Amino acid sequence: MKPVISLPVFSILFLAVVVCAQDEDAMPALQRDAAAIEATYVGNPEAIKAGGQLYLTVCSGCHGPSGEGGRGPSLVRGNRVRKVSNVKLFAAIQKGVPGTDMPPFPFPDEPIWQLVAFTRSLVASAYETDVPGDPAAGETVFFGKGECSRCHMIRGTGGFLGPDLTVAGVSNTIAQLREAFLDPNRRTTGGYRSVNAEMATGEKISGVARNNSNYSIQIIDKDGQLHLLTKQNLHSIEFPRKSWMPDDYDDRLSEEEVQNVLAFLSRQAPHPAAGSSSAGRGGDR
Amino acid sequence: MTASKLLLSLTLAASAVCAQVRFEDIKKSPNENWLLYAGDYAAQRHSPLDEINRSNVDSLVAKWVHHVDSRRLSSVPLVFEGVMYVSNSNEVYALDAVSGRGVWHYRQPGVEMNRVNRGVGILGDRVFFVTSDCHLVALHRLTGGVLWDHQYADPKDGYHCTVSPVPVKDKIIVGVSGGDSGIRGYMTAHSPSTGEELWRLWTIPAEGEPGSETWGPKTLPWGGAGTWMSGSYDPELDVLYWGTGNPWPDFYGGDRPGDNLYTDSLLAIDPDTGEMKWYFQFTPHDVWDWDAQEFPILLDLPWEGKQRKLVVQANRNGYYYVLDRTNGEFLLGTPFVDKLTWASGLDKNGRPIVIEGTEPNIEGVEVCPTVRGASNFMAPSYNPDTGLLYFVVLEGCDIYTSSEKEPVPKTGFAGTGGERPPNDENQFFIRALEPATGKRVWEYPMTGPTTMWAGTVSTAGGLVFFADDDKHLVALDAKSGQHLWHFNLGQPLYSSPITYSVNGKQYVTIVAQTDVFTFGLFEPAKPVPLVPEAGPR
Repeated sequence: MKPVISLPVFSILFLAVVVCAQDEDAMPALQRDAAAIEATYVGNPEAIKAGGQLYLTVCSGCHGPSGEGGRGPSLVRGNRVRKVSNVKLFAAIQKGVPGTDMPPFPFPDEPIWQLVAFTRSLVASAYETDVPGDPAAGETVFFGKGECSRCHMIRGTGGFLGPDLTVAGVSNTIAQLREAFLDPNRRTTGGYRSVNAEMATGEKISGVARNNSNYSIQIIDKDGQLHLLTKQNLHSIEFPRKSWMPDDYDDRLSEEEVQNVLAFLSRQAPHPAAGSSSAGRGGDR
Repeated sequence: MTASKLLLSLTLAASAVCAQVRFEDIKKSPNENWLLYAGDYAAQRHSPLDEINRSNVDSLVAKWVHHVDSRRLSSVPLVFEGVMYVSNSNEVYALDAVSGRGVWHYRQPGVEMNRVNRGVGILGDRVFFVTSDCHLVALHRLTGGVLWDHQYADPKDGYHCTVSPVPVKDKIIVGVSGGDSGIRGYMTAHSPSTGEELWRLWTIPAEGEPGSETWGPKTLPWGGAGTWMSGSYDPELDVLYWGTGNPWPDFYGGDRPGDNLYTDSLLAIDPDTGEMKWYFQFTPHDVWDWDAQEFPILLDLPWEGKQRKLVVQANRNGYYYVLDRTNGEFLLGTPFVDKLTWASGLDKNGRPIVIEGTEPNIEGVEVCPTVRGASNFMAPSYNPDTGLLYFVVLEGCDIYTSSEKEPVPKTGFAGTGGERPPNDENQFFIRALEPATGKRVWEYPMTGPTTMWAGTVSTAGGLVFFADDDKHLVALDAKSGQHLWHFNLGQPLYSSPITYSVNGKQYVTIVAQTDVFTFGLFEPAKPVPLVPEAGPR
C-alpha cells in the first residue's frame, strides 16, 4: 500500500501541526491529519520493510542489527522506545537527541516515517502482538510439566532464580521471549547471571548475581535469601557458562506446548486482559 | 489454580525465607531499620542510633552515591535489614544499603515519568507504592515483581497520586493529590494481600451530608481537600491522624461561602472503618492555599500538671498548634514565624481572627506567610532527650491576587495565585521549639533561593540532620543549634534525611534531586584483593 498523502503536502501539514499548535480552532483538524499520516506508515508492511532496509544502513551501526544495542543503547530492552509517541520518535530521528550521541538524520519525512514504522515493529511488546497459542494451556505447562515456576514468579507464585514474569508480556518482544525460553544461554539477562560463591569461611552460596563489582556482590539464592556481600569476605566466585535455566525445552515440550507457554507469557501485564492482546494499559498507548 | 500449581506454590511458600516486616516491627521503627515515611507512627523522626554523635560527627564521610535518572527525586527511603527502597516517579529501586549497589528495579510499564513520588510503604513480604496515575502497586520485596496492581483514583476525575502508603495493622492507607485543580478529596484503605479497597473516607462531604452547608453549590463537588501526605498513627488509641489540603479554587473564595469542610483540617480516623472520629480545621475558608498536611506529631507530655496525649503541628498558616489527640480539643496556638499578617490571633477554640483586607483581590495584596507556607511537608522532628521540636520554617510574604472567573475544575484553574514581592527577603530557618509553649529556643538561618522542600531527622547522638536551601546536608547540635558538620551535595533538595544501621554501623541518607547520598563515619580504606572469578566474563 502506498502512502495516500504526497510528501510535500505531508511536510506542510506536519510543520503546520508543530508551528500552529497554539491555534486552538485549527488544532483538532490538524491533529486528525497528523494521526492519519502516522497511521499511513506505522503498521504498514511496506513502510516497515523499507524502514528495515534503511535501518541497516543508518541505525544498526549504533543500535545493532536487531536493535539489541551496541555503541548506542538497546531499542528493544526496557521502555526507552516503547513509551515514546510516534511523533516524538519521528522528531528524535530527524532532529537527534540533544545532549546524547544520537545525531540528527535530516532526511525527508517519508524515510523518517518508514524508520519509525520499522522501529515500532521492532520494539512492539509481545502483549501488543497477536501471539498464537492457548494461554490457559500454557499456564498449565508453566506451573506444571514445564516447572517454570520453580525459578520464575508470576504475581507472587514461583521461585527466585529467574526474572519475575508478571509483566513479561509488556516488557519483552515475542522474539525476546522465544529466545530466552529456547536458547537461554545465548544472552544473559541482566541481574540473573548464575553464580557459585565461596566465602572466606568456606560457606558456599549458589544463586544469581543481582549485581556484582570488584568490591561487593548481591546474590539471591533459590530459597529467596538475599546475600549482600563485600568481596573482602569472599574466597572465590564462579560464574558458570550455563544459566540455571534449562536449555532443553525444545526436547521437553512439544512445539504446541512451547507456543502455548509463549502465548501465556505474552499476556502477562499489570492488568492482564483475558483473551485480548490489545486491551489494557500495557505498551505505548 | 490447578492442583500442580497449588502444590508448587505451597512448596515454594514453605521454602521461601523472606523475612516478614510485621506490624510489630513497624511500631518499633526507627531503630536499625527505617520503616515509615515519617520514621515512626508518631512522626517524631527521632532515631535511637548514637554511633554517630556530637563527638565524632566531624569525621562523617560519603560512603556511596546512587544515581537515578530523574527530574526531581522527592522520596524518603525506607530501610529493612540492609536493603534500601527508594522511589522515583513510577519506579522503585532496591539498593544494598551498605554499598549502594542495585538489587532490583521496577518501572511501571505504559506510563511515563510524571509528577513526584514521596516514597514506598512496607509490610510483610511486599513493598507498596503509588503511580502518578493512582495505581497502588504491591511489589515482592525480594524480587521487585508485581503481586497486584489496583487503581484507586481516576486521573480523568482530576486526581494524581504521590503519597507514600502507610501500613496500619492489616491495611495499607493512601491518599490523593490534585486539590489545586478541583477534585473531591478522599483517602482509602486497602488489603495488603489483594489491593481490594476496604474503606473510603471522603474529605469533601456529598450534597446534603453534614459539612456540605459550609460550601456553595458551585464548588462543593470539586472542593479539593487532597490527602497527599502520609499521616501519623497512635497504636494505643488506635487512631489515624491525617491532614487535608486546601479548598478549591485556591485563591478565590467568593464561590465557596463558609468554612469549606473538611479542607485544611486534621482528621482523626478509625483505621478499621475509615470513620472520622473528630476534625480540627486550622484555616476555615482558606484563600491562601495553606494545606494542613505538615506532619501531625504525636507527643505524650505533661500539660497543666496532667499527662496528656497531644498532637502538634506547625501549620502552613504560621501558627503552631497543640491539640488533645483523644478528642481534638484546642489547647494552644501561637505563631512560629515573625512574618504573619493575615490573622491577629486565634480565639479560645483555635479559630483564626482574620484581619480584614488580607483576602486576595484583583490588585494583589501582600500577606505573610507565603503561599508555600510558614512550614510545609519538610519533615520536622522531636528529640525526647532535649525535649525540643525541630521545624523547617520559611519567613516570607507573597502578593496574593485573585479574579472572579468561573471556576472550571480539572483545567489547572486555581482562582489566580501568590507571587513573591520584589525585594522581599524570604529565608528558611531551622527552629527549635518547646512543644508545650511553642517558645523558640534556638534558630539556625539558611542561605539559598528558598526553593527547597527538605526536612530534618533527630538522633540519640544529640544531632539534628537537615538538608538546607543551599544544597547542603548539615548536622547541628540538637541542644544548642550549633553547626557541627556539613557536606555540599551540589543538588537541590526535595526530601528529608533518614538514618539506619547495618551490622552495627550507622548511616545517614539523603535523597537529592538525582542521587541518593549515604554517609557514615570515616574508616581507613582497606585494599580489596580481586576475588578469583571462574567462568566467562
